[in-house]
Order: sequence, then C-alpha cells, then structure tokens
Amino acid sequence: MGETKNEYRLLLPLLPFLAIVPLLSLQSDSSPTDFAWLIVVAPFIMFPIILITGQVYNKNETWKNTWKEGGILGLAALSVSLSTTIWIVYDYLIGHADIQENTVASWLEWISFDVLQSDYTISQNRILGVDVWVDSLTLMLLFVATFLCFLICWFAIGYMTTDPINEDSNHRFFAEFVLFSLGMFGMVLADNFLWLFIFWEVMGLCSYLLIGFYYWKESAAAAAKKAFLTTRVGDVFLMIGLLILYDIYGSLDFAVVFDDPSTGIGGAVVESSQLFWALMMLFIGAVGKSAQFPLHVWLPDAMEGPTPVSALIHAATMVNAGLYLVARLMPFVDVHHHGVAGLEDFGLIVAWIGGITAFMAASIAFVQNDIKKVLAYSTMSQLAYIFTGLGSALYFLNTGDHHAGYFVLGASLFHLFNHAMAKGMLFMASGSVIHEVHHAHDHLHHGSDHGDHDFDPQDMRNMGGLASKMPVTSTAMMFGSMSIIGIPLIGGFWSKEGIIAETWAAYFHGETMMLGPALLILATAGMTGFYMSRMWFMTFAGQPKSDVIDHVHESTPWIKEPLLILTLITAIGGFALAILGVVDFLSNESQHLSLHGHSLTEQIIHELEHAFLPEDSKLRLVGWTTILLSFVIGPVMAARIHGGQLKEGQSANIFVGWLVKLSGKLGTQDVTWLAESQLAEALDKRLYFDDLYEGIISRTVIPFAEFSAWFDKNVIDGIIKQVESNSVLGSVQIRKVTTGSARDYILMATVGALCIFALLVGVNA
Amino acid sequence: MNLPLNMSEAELIIPELIMLAGLIAIILIPNFGDASFRIPLSRMKVPILIGGNRFKLTSNPKLPNRVSLAIFSTAFFFALMQTTYGKVGDTLEVTPFSRLFTLIFTAALILATIATTHRIPARANLNAPKDSDSENVATKKINALIDNRRQVDFHIILIMVGLGMSLMSMATHLFMLFVCIELASLSSYILVAFHKESKVGGEAGMKYFIVGSVASAIGIYGMSMLYLWNGDLSLDALALAWIESETVDPIAGIAVGLMLVAFGFKVGAAPFHLAAPDAYSGASSPVAGLLATASKAMGFVALMRILITVTMPESGEAFWFTTIAIIAVVTMTWGNLAALTSTNPKRILAYSSVSHAGYMLAGLAAIGSGLASEEAMKLILTAIVFHLAVLVVFKFGAFLVLSLLETEGRSHELKDLHGLARREPLIAGSMFLFMLSLAGVPPLSGFLSKFLMINGIVNVSAGTGTSDVSSVMDWVTSVEPVFWLAFAIVLNSALSMFYYLRIGLVMFFEEPENNKPMKDALSLRIAIAFCALFTVIIGIGPLSDSLLQMAADAIDSFISN
Repeated sequence: MGETKNEYRLLLPLLPFLAIVPLLSLQSDSSPTDFAWLIVVAPFIMFPIILITGQVYNKNETWKNTWKEGGILGLAALSVSLSTTIWIVYDYLIGHADIQENTVASWLEWISFDVLQSDYTISQNRILGVDVWVDSLTLMLLFVATFLCFLICWFAIGYMTTDPINEDSNHRFFAEFVLFSLGMFGMVLADNFLWLFIFWEVMGLCSYLLIGFYYWKESAAAAAKKAFLTTRVGDVFLMIGLLILYDIYGSLDFAVVFDDPSTGIGGAVVESSQLFWALMMLFIGAVGKSAQFPLHVWLPDAMEGPTPVSALIHAATMVNAGLYLVARLMPFVDVHHHGVAGLEDFGLIVAWIGGITAFMAASIAFVQNDIKKVLAYSTMSQLAYIFTGLGSALYFLNTGDHHAGYFVLGASLFHLFNHAMAKGMLFMASGSVIHEVHHAHDHLHHGSDHGDHDFDPQDMRNMGGLASKMPVTSTAMMFGSMSIIGIPLIGGFWSKEGIIAETWAAYFHGETMMLGPALLILATAGMTGFYMSRMWFMTFAGQPKSDVIDHVHESTPWIKEPLLILTLITAIGGFALAILGVVDFLSNESQHLSLHGHSLTEQIIHELEHAFLPEDSKLRLVGWTTILLSFVIGPVMAARIHGGQLKEGQSANIFVGWLVKLSGKLGTQDVTWLAESQLAEALDKRLYFDDLYEGIISRTVIPFAEFSAWFDKNVIDGIIKQVESNSVLGSVQIRKVTTGSARDYILMATVGALCIFALLVGVNA
Repeated sequence: MNLPLNMSEAELIIPELIMLAGLIAIILIPNFGDASFRIPLSRMKVPILIGGNRFKLTSNPKLPNRVSLAIFSTAFFFALMQTTYGKVGDTLEVTPFSRLFTLIFTAALILATIATTHRIPARANLNAPKDSDSENVATKKINALIDNRRQVDFHIILIMVGLGMSLMSMATHLFMLFVCIELASLSSYILVAFHKESKVGGEAGMKYFIVGSVASAIGIYGMSMLYLWNGDLSLDALALAWIESETVDPIAGIAVGLMLVAFGFKVGAAPFHLAAPDAYSGASSPVAGLLATASKAMGFVALMRILITVTMPESGEAFWFTTIAIIAVVTMTWGNLAALTSTNPKRILAYSSVSHAGYMLAGLAAIGSGLASEEAMKLILTAIVFHLAVLVVFKFGAFLVLSLLETEGRSHELKDLHGLARREPLIAGSMFLFMLSLAGVPPLSGFLSKFLMINGIVNVSAGTGTSDVSSVMDWVTSVEPVFWLAFAIVLNSALSMFYYLRIGLVMFFEEPENNKPMKDALSLRIAIAFCALFTVIIGIGPLSDSLLQMAADAIDSFISN
C-alpha cells in the first residue's frame, strides 16, 4: 500500500480536447446547438480507437501506465461531450437561446427516398437522417449524463486499473463504457422516437456487455443475460407502442407528433383509447429499462458488473432512460396544449406502478447486507418515486390542472437530477469502500494459504468503523444518503417533498385512486430513512466487525476527486437550484434559471416557506409527516440498531464525527426476533419474484423456445440449405459454359447477338 | 497560321492535353542524355539531350511510374477544378458528364499506377547476371531487369488508356466514340497480356483480344448500317432522325442491336462476358481493377449514349426495353451464380462485376419502359453514374488488396486469403469493408448506389399494382414488369451475400498458411486505406452529398444534350 501518487500529469493529453469547444465558440457565430453532434460523435470516434489500440498494445507499459489502458482516451472523448454540453446549457441559461422553442438542429441527412405505400402509390419524400432535439428536459438529462459519464470514467481509471482481476482487459471496459455513453447521449438528443429506440438499444447492449464484464464468472454471465432478456421484454412492448404511434400519426418525429397530438395522420381525430394503448406499451418499455415492478428483477443482479458500471448505468444514467421516455410523453396528455383528453387512467397506472415499486424495493432493502444491493434497491425505490411523480403529472395535465401538473413534472425531473448525482456518488463511494477493503484483505492475507477465501468485500457485516479510515468516502456517503433520504435542506429533499405533496394533492382533488400511491410513497419515505441510515451506520460507525478493517486506507488515486465534486453538488446544489427556480425551468414554465426578480434572501425565504409551510393545511400535514418519518424515525431506528462509537483512539472528521457520536449515544436495540421472522426471509428472497418468474418461464417460454429451435433447425434451415444447394448446383452448371476456349466464347456471343435480334424483331413485330 | 485548336478550346481539355504531353514526356525523359552535335567545320558542340550517356536521374527505372502518377494526378486535379464547358471542334463536347467520367477514369488510373509500383517493381542499380550465378539466381536477375525495362512500356499504355477513355466520354459523334473506345480497348488488351512470360497472362490477353475484336467488328458493322440509314453519325443528328421516324426502321433497329453486342462486351453483359473472368484472372490485379472499373464505366457511357441519347423515344416504350430487361436479369443472375462456387478471388470479383453490370442494365431497362417520369429517369441515371464512380473506390480497393497479395506471388486461390485477418488485420478489415460495400450493406457507398437504383426502379413501377385483389397471382400480373426488375436485384443481392461474406469468412476464421506480415508496400497500403475510408464517407456524410450532386449535375448535362 504505497502513498497516494498524484497522477494529474496523465491528464495532459486532455488539453487539446478541452480546447475544441472554446475554439469553436470563438470561431463560429452559429448557435452551439449546431454543434450538438459533437457530443455523440466524439465517443463514437473514440470507441473503435480504444478497442483497436488496446488490442494492439495490450501489454505495453506506456499504454498501461500513461494511457491507463484507454481510460485517458475515454476521458478525452467524454471531455469533448461534457464541454459541448456545458456550452449549450450555458447558452440557454444566459438566455441566448429560447427554451420554450424546442430546437431541432439538423445534424446529418443521409438519403431521401420515396415511400411506396401498401396501395402502390408513392406517398411522400422521406429523409433518413439525424436531427437534434433540445428542450429543458434534454438539457437537464444531457448535463447529468455527460457530467456523470465524465466523473465516473475518471473514477473508473482509478478503480479498474488498480484491480489485478482486470489484467489486460481494461481497454474492453473503456471501449464499452464510451460506447454506452454515446448511446445515452444519442438517446437524449434524438429528435424522434425511432432514433431514441435505436440508442436505447445501444445502451441495452452495453449494459449487457458491462454487467457480463467478468464473463468467466458464471453469476456475472447469468446476470447479464437476465438483464438483457428482462429489458428485452419491455423493449418488445416499446416497439409495439412505437408502431401504434406511427399508425396514429404517420411519423415518429417529435416535431410532427408533438405539434398537435390530438390530430393524427391526415387530420383524423385521435382516439384516446388507441393512444392509451400506445402510451401503455411505451410505458412498459420504460418499466423494463428503469427496473420497475414487475420487470424489476434484473437490477439487483446487475450489480455483478464492476462498480463504476453500477454507478453509471444502473444508477445514474441508463435507468433514467425510462423516466425520460415517460417525461417525453407529457405533450400527449397535456390538454392545455392540444393533448388528448381521457387519459387519466394512464397517469394513475404510472403512479401505482411507482408506488408499489417504491414500497417493495424499500422493504427488500431492509434486509440486504451487500452494500451494492442496498443501493440497487434504493435506486429502484427512488426511480419509483419519480414515476409516481410523473404519474401525478400525467394525471394533472390530463384533467386540466396544468399548474399542478407542471409543478410535479418539474419536481420529478429535479428529483431525477438529485438522485442521479447522489446515487452516482453513492455507488462510487461504495466502490471505494469495496476496493479498499478488498485491497486490505489481499494485503493482510498475502501469500498465506489459510486466508479467508470466502471473505466478501461487499458484505457490510464485515465492515463497521470505517469512518475514521475513509474520511472522504464516509463524508460523501453521508451526504449522498442524506440526499436520498430527503434530510431537509439537502439535495433530494427539495424534489421529494414536491412529489409527495402533489401526489397527495391529487388525492385531495378527489381522485380516490391516488390514495394508494400517495400512502405507499409516504411510508417509503420513512423506510428510506431507515435503510439508507442502516447502510451508513453498518459501514462506517460502530466497532470494526473484521480484522481487515484496521488495514484499510483511502489511498487509490483517481477515486477521491469525483467524490468530492459530487459531495459538493449534493450538499448545496439542490438548495441552490431550488432557489433558482429549477422546477419551473424543467417543466418549461420558465425560461431561465434566475431569482425571478427577487433578492436572494426573499427567494430563500419563499422557497423555505413553500417547502415547510405550504398554504394548504392538509399539505402542511403531509409535509411534516414526511419529514418526521424520513428525518427522525427512520434514521434513529437505524442508529439504535446498527450505530455505535468507533474503536478507542479512532476519530472521524468533523463532517461525520458528530453523527457517529450521536449514534453511540442513542443506545442500542435488539431486533434479532425480527431478523429471524418469516417476513425477513421473504424479503431476503426478494419476495419470491425470481422464483415465480423462473417457474413461469420454465413452463411457458422454454417449451416454446425449444419448438422455435426445432422449427429453425428443420424448416427454416432446411429451406435455406435447399436454396443453397440448388444455387451451388446451378453455379456448377453455369460455369461449365465458361470453357476457356475463345471459340466457344465467340459462339456464345453470336448466340447472344441472335437472341437480341429475335427479341428486337419479336417484340416489335 | 491556322491552329487545329484555339486557346479557348484548349482550356476546356486541359486534362487530355496533360495526358498527351505526358505521353510524349514519358517517352523522352528516360532517353535524355549528354549527346551533342558538333556544328560542321567548327569545334562547337550543341547539346541535343537525346541519346548518348543517359543521365542518372532521368534514367532511373522508377521514374516512369512517378511521371505517370504525376500526370494522372494533375489531370484529375484539373478535371476536378474545371468550371467551364463547351464544344471542342465538331466531335467533342466537354460537359459535367464527361468531366465526371474523366474523374472516374483518372482516379482508377491513379490507383492502378500506385498498385503497379509494387506489382511490377522497378529497382535502380541492378546488375546483369554473372556466369557464376546459378540458374535460379540468373532468372531472377533477368526478370528484375526486364521489369525495369518495361516500366516505360507499361505506363505509356496506361496513359493511352486514360486518353482514350477520357476523350470517349466527350465524344458527340459515334465514329469518334468508337475510335476512342478502340484506343482504350486495344491498349487494355496489351495490359492484360503484359506479363507475357506467364502462360495465363498471354493466353488471357489473346482470348480477350479475339473476343473483343469480334465484338468490335460486329459493332462497327452496326455503325455502318446506321450510317447507311441516316448518313450522319453525330449523336444529335441520329437522335433527331430517330424521333422523326414514326416507327423503328429495320435497318436502324438491327444496327442498334449489333452495337449492343459491342457495348455489351465492354460492360460485361451476359452472354458476352465470358472472356472477362479469364482476362481478370490472367491480368495482374491493377489491370483487372482497371477493367472492372474504368473500362466498365466506358462501356456504360457508350450504352447510355446509344440507348438514352439516340434511341429513347419522347414517350412510350423504347424498342429495346424487353431485350435489355432480359439481358439485365440474365446477366445479374449468371454473374452471381457463377461466383458462388468460384475459388479464385479474381474470378469472384470478375463475376461480381458482371452482376453489377446487370443491376445497372436493369436501371437502363426501367428507363426504357417509358413509364419513368423525367425525375425518375434522372434518379436512375444518377444512381448508375454514382455507382460507376463509387465502384472505383471499393471494387478497385478489393483489387488493390489482391495486388498486395500478388506481391508475394499469390491471389489465385481463395486460400491465399485464409487468415488474412491474423496476418494483416487492417488490410483484412478493409477488404471486408469492400466486400460489404459490394454487397450493398448500409451505410457504405455500395448501399447508397444500389438503394438509389432500386428506389428509382420501384418509383417507375409505382401506381401500377393494385392492393384490392383477391389472389397473389392477380397482384403479380397487375404490377408493371419493371417492378420485377427491382425484385430481381433484391433477390440477386441476397444471393451475392453468399460469396462476398465467404471472403470475409476465410479471412477471419481460417488458419493462415504462414503468420508473417506481408511486404511493406507502403504506398499500396495507403491507397487501400484511402479506399476504405472513402467507402465509408461516400456512403454517409457530406461527401456523399457532394458526389451525388456531381452525378446529378452530370446527368442534367447529359439529358439536356
């Protein structure tokens, strides 16, 4: 365990890449949106470069130490994407570009062609190409994606290249990482549903590849397959949804579809029942991608992938794709802007799915001992919050209350932002913990056979008392957990409060069906407080639970910087953005982030009032119940069960020290009876969903798959083989004509000439 | 003084003049020497440069290759930069159409010259064999010396090919057209037989020459009948006469039929293509590449002149529609079927080239149906011209890869490609790209041209089928036959995947015979890389737009004639 070496000099190759955007902005007068293609193209170019260079120079020392097996190249490409994004976002924020006008920037036109309709008439000219669609939703998600991809790539350089298990395969990791990033950026920028779907699938592929990064481990290969197949179920429905949409509107372009969702192709009035099914199908696709009930089973298993992958794909970016898709659907139901009325049920279904998933995932998280699994369930649960919020937004917009609808839409998207930042950081922090514990374990048992081979560096039952050993990580994890829990004034509080309040508001409006989701997410708020605190206390507070912990140091380079940056954003970013009116911005209600003409203090007081003392007394009650549950009851219970003082002589830094001390003072509580109950076992088995699915699949899908295999082998292959052998036969025959004798060739030419005459004369006679 | 060419006309044909000057230069330059002439009755010596001891610099055997490359590159550059167009004399006219073809021809010739650098290597400072040398060594030395000696010959012929082809695309008179074709063709026969000491080379050249001259003779006979009919062979006059005659005059009809034989041979249409696979496999790969790209393009220019410019009626079906349609389908099917079981990569490429001719003939046939609107006709012609242009990139690219293999004396067997991916991953990757592009896989340039073609043909047949029919057969018969041409192209494309992908298969999955990387032929490698790059960027992106625009402009100028 050497001293932390500063490796910033390796970042020098990034400088020319960072210079691209400033140069472009100085050179060109056109809007930065015209350069949005750079965001996707930079990783697109870098992907093969990393893969091929890595293949060629695999064991080269320079490649390993200076280029970090492609990590620096990946970082360079992502730095181009990030700086372009910042340029575009800045342009919008300072008001150069108008946010309420969705910008479609032409990027690439490939081929234009006519479409032959089924009645054999040419309908219209189509252009196959890619355009870029920019609105506030795009901007927010684009920033989240590029920013986190960049930071996590940075983190991965430290995490992946120092782990001997990745020997010589890191270029594969970074290439896939960059390919994934391009998928995410492309999906966010796409200006029609088809491109969205294509990039969606690119992400699905990369998710599969990266979960199965350790493909020689059986569990990893199985997890990758499970993730791929489960999301594929959703994707099939998504595709059906797209086909229905195409049938209704005759186009999948956002510009065409969203222009007037109430009129379909040829001016026909859109039936709400038909649109309902299209939206439902799209929603099922989103459920698969965002791991919601009942397609949630893949996400916990996906933690088999390397931790940076979990941080990036399964917490911060890809799982948000489903949310993004549902948020994109708002114009369909927004009756205020030509939306189709009569789709409240869709909103209710979204909210219910969200509520159920939130509660279920939170309860399973209670009993998880694997630090990454806790975070995985927490991700599901938090995404479910956002779904509930989006469901309420759909409901409000469709019933005509667009102010409430936009507010909760903005709050949901804000929660998406907060959650992505916090969860990305939490995963990186957990990665840091796992990495260092693993290192310490290897160090301790180095060269000895009697080492504990079953030692699991991800198991929180082996940890405890790490607060003094890992000051940066523990601080990051504390702020991240606070943001997820919704501790007042920090990160996620500002958005979560809005979602819960508005869901209840929908119920108070007289929609009794909203009571279910509203109750579920309110209860989940308290549960979140418990399981997140439990994770933190189990890992960082109390006495060390194994001898390895004494040898842990926070020493790997590249890991701390992203944690520090994200800690800062989580701690104060949420508050700052809330004051600047981000909720209105995200729902396209306001143009820019600004104080809206108030002074800073006024705005702060306004926001605090809005959060803690809303005018509606019922909402005030809901708000304070949430705070009580999540801030007081959950964490205190967790602290009583799992908290405790550190070992003698150890002390933590001031950010987390008070928390450890507090948890030691709260006393302890024995919950063995609960941990041994049947409920705990059921939760441990993930409520038997996996068993259920496996049972169903082995009875239905597998026989069908076997039949398909038989059909493919005998019927389809048979036909193809027949065609092939006949072709080969024909080929042999026809080649006999080519005798090699010039006389025969001339003979054939003469025959040909005679045939031409016969044809010319015969046809024209 | 009455110059045969005034200055403004000369400006129009700078690329051809460059080639002409190059032709003279390439003969003169290697013969520069210190010879001098003594003025009689004096002691003054006037250096006359030709003869005597040759200068070291100009007698370098590598020089002709460089000169040739320089000539074609400048010709290419000037053709690219040309913005003024007009008539040159009575029989030539420079149009965007002819300039695009000059670009195609010179581009192919540039690639051929680069490939020849390594295919027929020239080495300075060679020694004659000594008596003490063993027979083997002596033969090698002699061969190397022969290679040095014939550098000039090869490049002279190459320049003549370029000159003939380039002038041919500008010809507005059928006779001029024929003379230029013959200039290029006779030169290319020699190129095929250039390695006369190898048995296959001489035989292939001979066969190609015999069949080619029979085809030419038939064509010229047809042309003479056309002259008999009209008395004027300029294209404008012929077209005018054609429109004026109410029905197709038998003499004129037969004349056109005879000329189809000659041009059918040039493009490699069945059943006149039979000598082509032999010629391709007998010739060296650069020459085969030239035949498959430039020579084919030349044939199509001639066909388009005779079929579209002259005999296409104002409205209604052209009398050759059925003939060309049948030839097209037979050609593409024959080419693809024959390629299936071929094991010689050059023959596979030759047959693939035959089938591509079939696709393009199908496009011409669709125009001949008379159903095509002005726009659809332009679309199809643009697709043909675009295809001929992009062929230079990926078909010649494939031949360049074979040239690289030939530098170690192989490329006649599919197994020479075995395991190429392991020996030369980049070369194999490029080759695979060329194959995919030949097969028409998006987003490569081969896809774009095939797509445009099918799009155009289907467009022509649009509106003919009905959807409210009770049985499939009703529908089949209700659709215009032109639609089935597009269908044939699609089916044939599927068939062709079989052999294109087989080349990829053997390159990536078979064991190589040896694992050594190939010769370090740098300029050839660069050329291959360029071809691979262009295969992609002409398929998608701004460059494809500008090339398509060039092709569309060319067709505009072609039709307005």
